[in-house]
Amino acid sequence: MSENTRTIKNAVCTFCGCVCDDMELTVDLDEHRITKAKNACILGRSWFSEHVIEDRPIAAIGGKEVSFEEAVEESAQILTKAKFPIIYGLSEASVEAQREAVAIADYMRGSIDSTSSVCHGPTGMAFQGVGESTTTLGEVKNRADLVIFWGCNPAEAHPRLFTRYAVTTKGMFIPRGKKDRTVVLVDPRKTASAPVANIHIRPKPATDFEMIWALRALIKGKKVNASIEKVTGVPLETLQDLAERMKNCNFGVVFFGMGLTMGRGRYFNTGALFSMVTDLNEYTHFVVKPARGHGNVTGADQVLTWQTGYPFGVNFNLGYPRFNPGEFTAVDNLARDGADAAMFIASDPASNFPKAAVEQMKRIPVISLDTRRSVTSELAYVVFSTSAWGLNEHGTAYRMDDIPITLRPAFESPYPSDVVILSAIKNRVFELNIDKRSIGMSARSDIGKATLHASM
Amino acid sequence: MSLTLSLHTSPEVPVEADVISPDRLNNLNESALSALPVFHGNVQAKIGDFFKVQGQYNGEIRVEGDLSKVKHIGAGMTSGRLIVNGDVGAHLGAGMQGGKIIVDGNVADWAASEMTGGRIIIKGNAGHMLGSSIRGSATGITGGEIIVHGNARNEAGQAMRNGLIVIGGNSEDLTGVNMLSGTIIVLGKMGIRTGAGMKRGTILSMHDADLLSTFTYACTYHPTYLRLYLTYIKKLGFQIDDAKLSGNYERWAGDSIELNRGEILLYRN
Ligand code: SF4
Repeated sequence: MSENTRTIKNAVCTFCGCVCDDMELTVDLDEHRITKAKNACILGRSWFSEHVIEDRPIAAIGGKEVSFEEAVEESAQILTKAKFPIIYGLSEASVEAQREAVAIADYMRGSIDSTSSVCHGPTGMAFQGVGESTTTLGEVKNRADLVIFWGCNPAEAHPRLFTRYAVTTKGMFIPRGKKDRTVVLVDPRKTASAPVANIHIRPKPATDFEMIWALRALIKGKKVNASIEKVTGVPLETLQDLAERMKNCNFGVVFFGMGLTMGRGRYFNTGALFSMVTDLNEYTHFVVKPARGHGNVTGADQVLTWQTGYPFGVNFNLGYPRFNPGEFTAVDNLARDGADAAMFIASDPASNFPKAAVEQMKRIPVISLDTRRSVTSELAYVVFSTSAWGLNEHGTAYRMDDIPITLRPAFESPYPSDVVILSAIKNRVFELNIDKRSIGMSARSDIGKATLHASM
Repeated sequence: MSLTLSLHTSPEVPVEADVISPDRLNNLNESALSALPVFHGNVQAKIGDFFKVQGQYNGEIRVEGDLSKVKHIGAGMTSGRLIVNGDVGAHLGAGMQGGKIIVDGNVADWAASEMTGGRIIIKGNAGHMLGSSIRGSATGITGGEIIVHGNARNEAGQAMRNGLIVIGGNSEDLTGVNMLSGTIIVLGKMGIRTGAGMKRGTILSMHDADLLSTFTYACTYHPTYLRLYLTYIKKLGFQIDDAKLSGNYERWAGDSIELNRGEILLYRN
């Protein structure tokens, strides 16, 4: 370690949805890396220490190093020529970069989707279907006396959620911290979060919907068939007790995770939970919050909604945004509908998408923007190396409670940021598209009318 | 001779072809028809780029080939007959108001979503969201008939307000979820969470089903009107034995979280 260090106060960790903004980073300016991250949890510490400047070309096409400009030109050509291109990823990028990506999707008339579609997409669909009784983490800290974690495991995924906001922390109306809160965990498994819970309810896997449905009935004072114990493995008395606790608390909050959203029933599970919370507001103040994973996946939803009206799975084929998860989401586009070009921004779908989708990625030109090598960047045709958002670049990230937080970069990177790359591609796609689209505009306005009409 | 569209070039990416509908194709000759616009991904193309067009519309259109990447066929149609030979892509007959679609093959998701009238007959299987609402809207089909001889996947008849859905095979989860009224008949088995959130309406199955805890058993009886329905669908070509025409059915009332005015009928003996 060299002597040449700098300390950055109030820096931001963008690893998980907590987006902790009280980091104190020590940066080794010679070695370009962070040597100490005070206040960070174990995940945050490894996030900060992992980031070293890899020795990669700024841009490469087909494995050969090229200039930035050549790679931008090639990417713009690929995206403009494609008939059914898709942009996917976005969760580990700043709001500013996400905004450029939406503009590209619009100009190239393709689809845009974020990693939401494989984690909390069902949450977005339930927002639309049911509505959300929402809150900020600050309110949870100061007021929540009943905290429920449903199908999520913050001890391992959002370590500081307990200490900073939801469990042990002391708040204005919660002077004694955990002593003043009741913590309930609903999870079939005995996870690392179990020790903090006062009550651990362990339903059979994939019976969340049935359990929430029964709770809704109990909250409304309706009879519940005793078969519920056989179905969910949870005795009726336990459910009655939970329903009473929920109705009688002062301020209740449910955090939920992928155990709920990715289980059988998906958006009906989240929709059921949101409905339950809505029901509870007849009795007390109750709110619900998705415990979002990756850094700025919340921002991706925000930016897409602000720009297109929809949170993910948006398609611009006809020149205006259309929303249809299951049709315009990345996996479906690739695996079923044969997307003919793809740009992946700060994500590695080749390592976690179903086989048919990955096979399609191998057949088509893929553009990848990432800070490090990944399975996706290995199979990509055009590869950009980017600086790390939040560590090397300014920008904005959204915390899981939809609060925007300004990033404070720690050290400089020799690589361009994804904002710079995306805006260069955007400008070129725009130029190329003027030529491509100047014909046939009038007929375009006619097509899809029946569909548009039907969707109103 | 009726109008025939046969696929000569399989599209690489989805084609949106809501022009393939009697309302849009009548009164046009072959060359005018071939020039009608469709969208191939984000590029405007012509019907003739993919289909060979023969004949003149006389109340009937035939579409042939592997249409699994052709979406929105028959969307919004109001009259006439559309006969599809082959598997067909999403949104078939979406928002359909009248007329008849007959498919000799399987259909993808969102078939007949938000239809208001007419009839769709599917000889093969249907995908998810059969006769459902479009994302974000509160009501599914408000009329018409959807007849599926094979199986249907999740959310058949989601949020339907009126009309009839018949599924000859099995249906998967959430059949008739958030249903407002209307009738769903499943001759095979249903998946879990049938009728969740239903306000009114009837869901009938010839097999036992795992129902939610918010449904309560009412009685076992023989609803008179059922005979009419079953005789009607027997005429449509479904196998219904006499025991079912005059048999007894368990009536479960629900969903108690909502109005509790819906019913699920399960065949007993
Ligand atoms: S809780 Fe999340 S945001 Fe906070 S330090 Fe840990 S990983 Fe970073």
